[in-house]
Amino acid sequence: MPQFFSNKRLILLLVGVIFLVALISFTLRDRDHASLPEQIIKDVVGFGQSIFSKPTQYITGVFDNVDSLLNTYEENKRLKSRLEEFAKLQADVNDLASENTRLREIVDKKDDLRDYEPIQATVIARNPDQWEEKVILDRGTVHGVKKNMAVITAQGLIGKIKLTTPLTSTVELLSTQDPNYRVSAMVAGQNEVFGLIEGYDEKRKELILKRIDSNIKIEKGQKIMSSGLGGIFPKGLLIGEITEVTTDDFGLTKLAYVKPAAEFALLDHVMIAKRSMVTIDGTDGEDSTTKEEDES
Amino acid sequence: MNRLIIPSIAVVLFYLEPVFGLFSPLDIGGEYRFLIPRFLIMYLIFISIYYSRNRAMLYALLFGLLYDVFFIDIIGLYSFLYPLMCLIASFIVKYIHQHLIVTTIMSLILIAGLEFVLYYFFSFIGLRDMSLQIFVRERLIPTMIANSIFLVVLGWAFKYVINARMLQRLNQPN
Repeated sequence: MPQFFSNKRLILLLVGVIFLVALISFTLRDRDHASLPEQIIKDVVGFGQSIFSKPTQYITGVFDNVDSLLNTYEENKRLKSRLEEFAKLQADVNDLASENTRLREIVDKKDDLRDYEPIQATVIARNPDQWEEKVILDRGTVHGVKKNMAVITAQGLIGKIKLTTPLTSTVELLSTQDPNYRVSAMVAGQNEVFGLIEGYDEKRKELILKRIDSNIKIEKGQKIMSSGLGGIFPKGLLIGEITEVTTDDFGLTKLAYVKPAAEFALLDHVMIAKRSMVTIDGTDGEDSTTKEEDES
Repeated sequence: MNRLIIPSIAVVLFYLEPVFGLFSPLDIGGEYRFLIPRFLIMYLIFISIYYSRNRAMLYALLFGLLYDVFFIDIIGLYSFLYPLMCLIASFIVKYIHQHLIVTTIMSLILIAGLEFVLYYFFSFIGLRDMSLQIFVRERLIPTMIANSIFLVVLGWAFKYVINARMLQRLNQPN
């Protein structure tokens, strides 16, 4: 192929490769904001994308409806058997909620870590090459979305916002392999036990809850919720259920495998949880020392 | 036929990819199978073979850049790989017969090559830690099956549209 290696082309190719490698390494760094041209491209492409994905979701919605219609009889039977139980539970919850507000009034405490405003959003695209676990939503900074906010479905927590532009936002799902991805969580129970969700076991399809005090007993089947102590997530978003408890590599703390409550496949409508209480700048559960280093 | 037909098909395919991406991963027998749509690059390879190499590389650069910015957030990955695929395709095609079946197979081989390059890239930068065996079983094979179905169904249409446009351009040089 003599014409391919003519001098001019070779130089052009080399310069191009060097330029691209430089661009890759520049954009690989953990950036806080998308640059202006990126934001413009993302918003324009995102607009086109929502035109394409909304009809698709309508069609899949129709199929889902037909599917649930076919299961109606079975489901109805099962639900009826639980109805009685539910009424009792409802009464209990009402009772507890009113008692809670009364007690709050007595101690004059208005803010609650649990309060959040949901921002409804639609998934307009999933990263098609799926090397990173990302989805793109049709809500951005103009709708009040900020970086690191929690993203939930009706079942539970699915991820957090990684990047925002005025009209779109990118969500990194909990099933990511990113080693810097952490969510501060707690084991719900008589006394709350805190830990960090760190990592995802791809073989088991389960999250890993680390750094649990080894003196505290936790059991299989207990529910894991977000603790709200990371500064951005509201408290009490369901993450999943413990399936196995072991000790970690060093034998100092406990480690639990958590089966996520939400499905990560076939996402369509999600909610972004905007915490009502003051949020703290930073990532949820990020190591504070690295943050300080970044700022200094 | 309008001169915008070729780029507008590319735009439609660009937007269709993530829509198909919404259905993946498929849960088959307790294991996830990733079907990665590669419609656009297959179309661009066809343009590069049947229409014009330079035009194909221009589109590849443009759509690769959009892909990088919108989905990957690593600029320079697809905007390098897409034109490279078109370039390789245009070189190989000089040595083979331009029959539809041959070009279809060649496009699929190039897609497999692209998947391998991406696998090594993401392993290298440490975003994914996946063994080669799992990669082949969970990603490569389902992806190849899905994309070959797509290309078998629509490959002739691509060729037809591109050839029609080519003829039109030859008839009225301006």
